[in-house]
Amino acid sequence: MPVKKSFQEINEKIKKGKAVVLTAEEVAAMGRDHSPAEVAEKVDVVTTATFGPMCSSGMFINTGHATPPIRMEKASLNGVPVFSGIAAVDLYIGATENHPEDPAYGGAHVIEELIAGKDVELVAHAKGTDCYPLKNIKTSINRSNINEMLMFNPRNAYQNYPVAVNTSDRIKYTYMGSLLPRLGNANYSTSGELSPLLNDPEMRTIGIGTRIFLGGTTGYISWYGTQFKTDAEVNEHGVPVSNAATLAVIGDASAMSPEYIKAAYYEKYGVSMFVGIGVPIPVLDEEMASRVMIRNEQITTRIIDYSDPDHPELGRTNYRELMTGEIEFRQKKIKTGSLSSIYKARKIADILKIQISEGSFLLTEPLEHFPMGKGLNSLEIRSQ
Amino acid sequence: MARTKRRMVLKFPVETVDEPITYNLIREFDVLINILNADITHGREGNLLIEMAGEKGKVQKALAYLESKKVVISPVVKTILFNESECIHCGACSSVCFPEALMMDPASRELQFSPDKCMACELCIKACPLGLFELNFGVN
Repeated sequence: MPVKKSFQEINEKIKKGKAVVLTAEEVAAMGRDHSPAEVAEKVDVVTTATFGPMCSSGMFINTGHATPPIRMEKASLNGVPVFSGIAAVDLYIGATENHPEDPAYGGAHVIEELIAGKDVELVAHAKGTDCYPLKNIKTSINRSNINEMLMFNPRNAYQNYPVAVNTSDRIKYTYMGSLLPRLGNANYSTSGELSPLLNDPEMRTIGIGTRIFLGGTTGYISWYGTQFKTDAEVNEHGVPVSNAATLAVIGDASAMSPEYIKAAYYEKYGVSMFVGIGVPIPVLDEEMASRVMIRNEQITTRIIDYSDPDHPELGRTNYRELMTGEIEFRQKKIKTGSLSSIYKARKIADILKIQISEGSFLLTEPLEHFPMGKGLNSLEIRSQ
Repeated sequence: MARTKRRMVLKFPVETVDEPITYNLIREFDVLINILNADITHGREGNLLIEMAGEKGKVQKALAYLESKKVVISPVVKTILFNESECIHCGACSSVCFPEALMMDPASRELQFSPDKCMACELCIKACPLGLFELNFGVN
């Protein structure tokens, strides 16, 4: 009889403290001498994780009303402009928004400081209305004197990402880090076999409403992410060979930790934010078992030339090669560097494993699945 | 006898590239030489980043010998300071570090910094997204 388990059955086991939970790395190692049928039999949940720079991130806050009240029309936090084109005292701090005078400081730093409980200076202006007479305000806010801190990231946890190299004669400073001239190095940004969407590439168990680890607390997948792509080329193991699916996630930032939300600055590019995400994957059957058993050498990714604006593909490699610290390409040994932290991703996968094993984290069945076969539009430049 | 340890770049003129200078330093002057980086091609000017250690008098004689061979000695006083406790172990710095002072441990995936190997090329300063490296001009 082939193994079939439902979310409910797995949750019952979790509640009784009887669920067998492994991290994606542990199950990948187990896959070397166990068949998918044996893994499906023995393992109930696999924890996946990633901790990488994710630009499409940000946080809504509600500052509470002053007396007299103000309808903030232009606002900044520690000098970083924030979006105030919503209700009177709701603001959205975009992670990549820059301080106008300090390119290395931005929205992500403000978010990290608020999460850490620090005071942040709020300056806002308004035209003044009959119901909101105050025109200017300058004060300081922190985690405990504002109402909500709601992290909402429109695009996180990319399913695979290309490796960046530079064939030109000059160093290139990019969001993929410092790229040395003449193929001097190669940078990648995925946690490989630990990465959430590479362990369930068709998103059979991941969808709207999935409970996840987000930034140190419990969060949720709210939707598929922006630039979501499910018509990408897949390799013989069924995983996309380039950036494909993404997740939009939501969570209470007032319960998050600066351990798992970290501001970043990439030279001559700008500010970004490391986001820690962990996704549990139930091993419902043999098919899911074979998915979560994926190993680094089975995950292909493209090598892209960032010195050419068309980003041509120069070749392909896999995460086992990349993680050795060196790849061989065009008869040359090229040093590799990761932008995402495997060390932190492992910590997250371990935390989630403990929470599920102890019965304090239950799985949620997706309320809706994500669209398959979805492609992307590109922006056409129409001259007037 | 007081001991000393100095880090320096030796620039060899074309005519001395083929002489066994490092061998002589060790054998004739009894100093410890640790080669940190070498860029020497026969028939061309070469550079050697070394650390020289030994008794003060012997080190001085060794330096005088190098000067007599027209080797240009540039002391390395720059060092890189690393705020290690804040490191998130991504690895963005390791791919730009050619002396391999910054390496990812393949098993633990933690960043390992070996200051001995650092040439203070400064590439890590711009590569670190958390700004954890800085240049130190302290006296050697």
